[in-house]
This record gives sequence, structure tokens and C-alpha cells, in this order.
Amino acid sequence: MKTRVEVVARRGPGGRTVLPVVSGSGQLAVRRTGPTSVHLVATAFGPLGGDDATIRLVVEEGATLTVHSVAAAVALPAREGERPSVQRVVAEVAGVLELRPEPTVVTARAHHVAELFVELAESAELTATEQVLLGRTGEEPGRWTGTTRLTREGRPVLHTTTGLGPGAPAWAGPFTPRAYASTVHLGREGTAGTGPDAVRLPLPDGWVATAWGDRLHRVVAALDQLDPDRTPTGAAAAG
Amino acid sequence: MPPHFTIDDYVDAEPRSRHSADGEPGPLRVGLGGPVGSGKTALAAALCRTLGAEYDLAVVTNDIYTTEDADFLRRNAVLPDDRIEAVQTGCCPHTAIRDDITANLDAVELLEARHPGLELVLVESGGDNLTASFSYGLVDVQIFVVDVAGGDKVPRKGGPGVTASDLLVVNKTDLAPLVGADLDVMRRDSALVRGEKPTLLISLREDPAATRVAEWVREQIRARALQEA
Amino acid sequence: MSAALLTLADSRLPAGGHTHSGGVEQGIEAGLVHDPRSLATFLHRRLVTAGAVAAGLAAAACGAAGDRGALDALDAEADARTPSPALRAASRQQGRGLVRVGRRAWPTLDWDALPPTPHHAVALGVAAAVAGLTARDAASAAAYLSVSGPATAAQRLLAMDPLTVAAVTARLSSEIDAVAGTSAAPQGHGGHVGPLPAAADPLLDLLAEVHAVRNDRFFAS
Repeated sequence: MKTRVEVVARRGPGGRTVLPVVSGSGQLAVRRTGPTSVHLVATAFGPLGGDDATIRLVVEEGATLTVHSVAAAVALPAREGERPSVQRVVAEVAGVLELRPEPTVVTARAHHVAELFVELAESAELTATEQVLLGRTGEEPGRWTGTTRLTREGRPVLHTTTGLGPGAPAWAGPFTPRAYASTVHLGREGTAGTGPDAVRLPLPDGWVATAWGDRLHRVVAALDQLDPDRTPTGAAAAG
Repeated sequence: MPPHFTIDDYVDAEPRSRHSADGEPGPLRVGLGGPVGSGKTALAAALCRTLGAEYDLAVVTNDIYTTEDADFLRRNAVLPDDRIEAVQTGCCPHTAIRDDITANLDAVELLEARHPGLELVLVESGGDNLTASFSYGLVDVQIFVVDVAGGDKVPRKGGPGVTASDLLVVNKTDLAPLVGADLDVMRRDSALVRGEKPTLLISLREDPAATRVAEWVREQIRARALQEA
Repeated sequence: MSAALLTLADSRLPAGGHTHSGGVEQGIEAGLVHDPRSLATFLHRRLVTAGAVAAGLAAAACGAAGDRGALDALDAEADARTPSPALRAASRQQGRGLVRVGRRAWPTLDWDALPPTPHHAVALGVAAAVAGLTARDAASAAAYLSVSGPATAAQRLLAMDPLTVAAVTARLSSEIDAVAGTSAAPQGHGGHVGPLPAAADPLLDLLAEVHAVRNDRFFAS
């Protein structure tokens, strides 16, 4: 099934963000849940292998948009064949965009492909989080392939593809985590930093942090430890 | 060989010169090699102290594992940090000064770029054995340091460091009576295997300025300047 | 096949590779590499991630030799695929070393179109081009070098049997060929992904960053 979502955030009168376009079709509906935030609501099981979702986001200069989802996405295998499910986020950002979806759970035999393509204008800001769990409790892990390509004014800032789960070439030996989380931020600088099974790397005007392990809540806590902007309470909770 | 080729197609006709764009010859590069514990780092520190006021100088260390040598120089050579570069040698200090000198060239070029008036660079090898020697792609002249405590047979045993270095330094002569080493034997054997090339028997403990070695380095700098002129 | 390819992939080519372990030194410290099997696993993961990226960049750079704008763009793509500062530094250090020896071996103005300290893969692509090799050759050299140097490093650090290490590397040949083949002729998808491979390895990034701040190490990376 094809799913198409489009949201445009624009600076309105008095500097407030308005959302002139908020539309969803297929398996995702979009609900406006705050002055600058929307939630994606799944209207069906899935995604299933073969499903294809594209989420198009435009954040114009002076506008702010935060995108959440209401529940974890549970990627299921295709009914026939071995096609992956694909979710693609394509964003053009001149203002401030935050992507904070709930985790993706990839069930046994499923393959989910997550793509994030963001083109940023000179002063744009971006924060995007990703949380992945391979397999439900007691289940074999599924496979997840995540590609992130960020460009600022046409120049590449980050372009990585991470493969997890059975069949991913580098998911082997000492690196077979079931849980994985990453945060990329562009806007404020971050330095390199390391933790147990977690690493933060600097990017031009930003940083990307990644953590992995067996349990998602621990991985997320390890990732929070590497957030340069984390609050002291966040640190206590992670410890 | 194909008929139209000459051997000149395979070799650079002129030896590669290191002259920079503005025609400066660059600093004299002096290699300091020798076995572990023979006093390379102490000699480097002595040369820095003695020659530091006369020449614009810097040091490259090839620490085998830690930055100990570089740290020693910082403490003892009165050299600012930005005049000392340490390179990692991938478990193979010998390779780094002879076979693949890339990391050392990078370090020398970095120092040259940082200090445009540089006149002397000492490249201290990681402690190796008697077969170690510097590539002349890396250094202009090389000093090989052995010590009396290694036994008076060392010069006779030879090896490229002892036989082919431009200056052989036999250090720790003050220990000769204690270890039963005969300095005359060492002097004679050195002359035998080295021919015209000089050998200096010194004690850095008795002469912390390494006066005669420093004088030899001055001669090399002068000789090179004459060559350039 | 040309003998020039053998020269480019020869570990004796003095381009500085012997001072880099490709993460093996820290992998050993972390207990991830300790015997032939764990070494083979480590080399394989390096091949399919960093090796694939390098092969793709080298192949593209081979086609772009002499084109300053295209090489700058590829160098930026290499940066985007190498967010670890330690790995960036290691790559640029080796790129500079390769340019130094390449200029002597194959003197041509094409070298001047490279950035001053290019990523190793980008320099390798140009070296392949000026040596008369193909993009696929460049990819082969990059893929092979992504495992041959680390294998030697493990041999030195663990005092492993060199015959065993040679066998491990030799048996990776078909995998190396496969990576070189797919990386040199990449299939983009969705119309959005750049055609260059971008396989990341957070584990290698972590190892590299931990290694870089150590004072007690034999290898530069």
C-alpha cells in the first residue's frame, strides 16, 4: 500500500507557525496536536512488507515543526515474497524541524527500510531521533536498514546506511544488537564522546550519537547520556 | 626492455631536491638511531639544550608504544610542545624510518610548516637493534648510538647502524670499568668497520652538553650551507 | 589487469598504511579480536562497511581524475560518510601519503586537482587513473586495502601465525571482489540516495574514537 503524508509549516502573522498543509493518505493520518506539533497516527496494522510510505515535510524560514507518532510502528513481513516495507522522510528545512517518532519494532522475517533525506538552508535546525527494536519479546530479530542523508545548502553533512538484523552484512560477530537508537542534531555544535556501546560524533554545526545493545530502554538511556544538551535529571534517570 | 625506452624513463634523472617554493633548502634532518637504552633520547635532549640557542630546531620522536620519549624531551630539552612531534610506528619502528617513512615525513613537514625558519630537525628512532638505519629519503645524516654497557663487542659485530651511519656515538664511557668493557677495543673495532667515518666515545653523564656531538652537527649544517652556496 | 594495480595494493608501497590498524588495535584491546576466527569476522565487517565505502569513492574518483570540482565533491561525500574525527584524520593522513608517493611514481598535473590532504579513497581513485587503471581496479585496490593493513596489524599485535593471517586474507578474496564489483557499479534506489555506498559501522566509529585518546598505542589508528 502507498502512504503519503505532507505537512508544510510556515511563519504566520506575529511570528507564530501555521500549518497550511496537513494531509495524510493510506496508512497514516496526521493530527495537529499543538501549535507547532503534529502526530502521525497509524490507521492499519503494519507497515507490511511491500508497503511504501513517503512523508514530505517543508519547514519554511521562521517556522517550527515537531513530528511525533502516537505508538510504536510494528513492521511485519510481506504476505508474499520478501519485499521490505519502506518509510521515507523527505524534508526541506529553513526553520526548525524535530522528528521524534516512537520506536520501530521489526518482527521476525520482516525487513524495514527507513530513509531520512533532509536538505537544510543556512540557518535551519534539525533534530531527528530513531529507535529500533529487532523482534518482539521471545521472537527472532527482523532486519532494519536505515539511511540518513543530510545536506546543508547542497553540501553533504552526513550520509550513512546502517544495517541491522539477519542478512545485514555487518550485523555479525561482536555487533549483533537487537536494540539501536540514534539522534542527529544540526544547529548547535557537539564534540566527540564515547560511552559503553555508544558514540557521539561531531558534524558541522551539530552531532550524531548512536547507541546499541540488547534492551531498548537501556540503549535510549545510554544515548541520552551522550546528548550534549541533556539535563541533570536526564543523567540521573539514565544512571 | 622495449627498444625505444632508456633507463632514464624509469628513474628520476635528478635526485629529488627538498627545496621549497621560495628556494629555501629546508632544515638539516639528522637521524638518531640505536638500540633501546643506549641514550638516544638523552642525546636528543642534550643536543636540543646545546644547539637550541644557536639554531631554530625541532624534534620528531618515534615512540614505540607510549609518548614517553616525547614527554621526556618536553621535560628535559626546554623545547616548547609545538617543536616536538611524536609518530606512531605500527609496532615496527624500523619500518617507519627506513621502508615506509610517510608518517615521519608528515611530522617533519608539519614542523617545517609550523616553523618556517627551521634549521635543524632531529628524528629520533624508536629503540631498535643493530640492523636499524634511516632512509636517506627521510634524513640528511644519521647518528647511531650504542653504549658501553652493551659490551665492547658491539662495534665488531657491525650491522648497518654501526658500519654505515655518518657518526657512531659510543655512549656511557663512564660505565666501562664497571662492565669490563675495553674502550680501546671499541675504538679500534669501530675504525676497522667504519673506515673514514667518525666515531665519538662520550659520556652524557660527564658531559651533559654532548659537546663533541653538537660540534659534529654544527659541521654538518655548515657543510650543507657551503654545498647550497 | 595491470601490474600497476599490484603496485597500488602492495603493502610495501610507502604510503603510510603500516602505521594504521583500521581499528584492530582497539578491537584487540576491547577483546573483540583475539584469534583467527574473530579476526576474520572483524575483517569481514570492515570490508562490507568501510571497505565498500572506500571502493565506491575510489571508483568514482578514478572517473573524476583531473576534475577539481568533482574531486572536491567526492571528498565532501567521504566526509559525510566518515563522521568519526579519528577515522577522518586517519583517512586524510593516508591520502596525503599516497599522493606523495603517487606524484613521484606517476608524475602528472592530475594530482594538483586533488585537495591538499584528500581522503585516502579519493586519492586512491586518482592514483589508479594516472596509473592507467580502471574504476573497477580502483575499487579492488580500496576493498583489498581495507582488510590487508588491519590483518597485518593483528599479526603484529597478537604475534599470530603469519601463514594463518595470510590464509584468512586470501579466503576473503571472493568477498573482496564482490564488494569491489558492487561498489564500483552501485545501484541507487528511490532516486534520492546518492549512488555511492554509505555503509556505516558504529562499532568501528566507537573503537576509533576510544583509540584516538589513548597515550599507549602502537598504531596511529
